[in-house]
Amino acid sequence: MIKITEEDISLDEMMKRARSKDTGATVTFLGTVRDDGMERIEVEAFREAAQAELEAIRVEAMSRFHLMAVEVVHRTGSLVVGESIVAIVCSAAHREEAFSGCRYIIEELKKRAPLWKKELGEKGERWVGRT
Amino acid sequence: MMLLKVLAFAGFREILGKERELEINEEATVKELLDELARLNPRFKEAAFDDSGELRDYVLLMINRKRIDPGQDLSRPLQEGDELAIFPPLAGG
Repeated sequence: MIKITEEDISLDEMMKRARSKDTGATVTFLGTVRDDGMERIEVEAFREAAQAELEAIRVEAMSRFHLMAVEVVHRTGSLVVGESIVAIVCSAAHREEAFSGCRYIIEELKKRAPLWKKELGEKGERWVGRT
Repeated sequence: MMLLKVLAFAGFREILGKERELEINEEATVKELLDELARLNPRFKEAAFDDSGELRDYVLLMINRKRIDPGQDLSRPLQEGDELAIFPPLAGG
C-alpha cells in the first residue's frame, strides 16, 4: 500500500500486510523528525503526483529487487520532534533484496516525490532544501 | 483565449496561492504563462526570476503532473486545460 496521510503511521499494520509465508526477510525504514533546533515541521505534498511517483518507485523496486511486498506511508501536516515522517516496509525471500529494495525506495522518494518540509521554531521558519 | 490551471507548492504556494485558473492567449508557451504570473504578482517575479529575467534554477515545473526541463521546455506551447505546477526543490522523507 502506498499512502500519503495526515494520520500517524502504524508500522505494525504495515508489517502485517508485508508478511507472507514466502517472505524470509522484512526490512523497515522509519524517518523521524530530528531536533535541529526547531520546534516542528510542516510537510506538504502535491498529493496526486506524489502518490503516482511513489507507485512508480514501488513497481521499479519490486521488479529490480524481487520484492514480495512494499509498503510506503508518508505523512503530511504538522509534526513535532520525534514523530514519524515516512515509513517503508519491504519484504523479500532474502535479506539482501529486502535491504537493497528499502534503500532504493527511500533514495528515489527523496529525489522524485513532490513533497516538501518547512522547519518552524523560535528563530523563524524556512523551507528545507531552498537555497 | 484558453483557460489553464496553475498549482503552486511550498514557498511558491505562499506567494501564489495553492490553485488558480488563468486565462491566457491561445498557444501561449510555458514561459509566457510564467511571465504573466510575474506581471500579476511582483513577489513571484522576485522569487522565480533573477535580475536578468532568467528563471532561477530552483524553480521546478510540472505540466499535467509530468516534470519538464526548464532549460529546454519553456518554449513549449500550452493547451486548453493544461495544469502547470510550480515548486521548489523536493524535500520529502
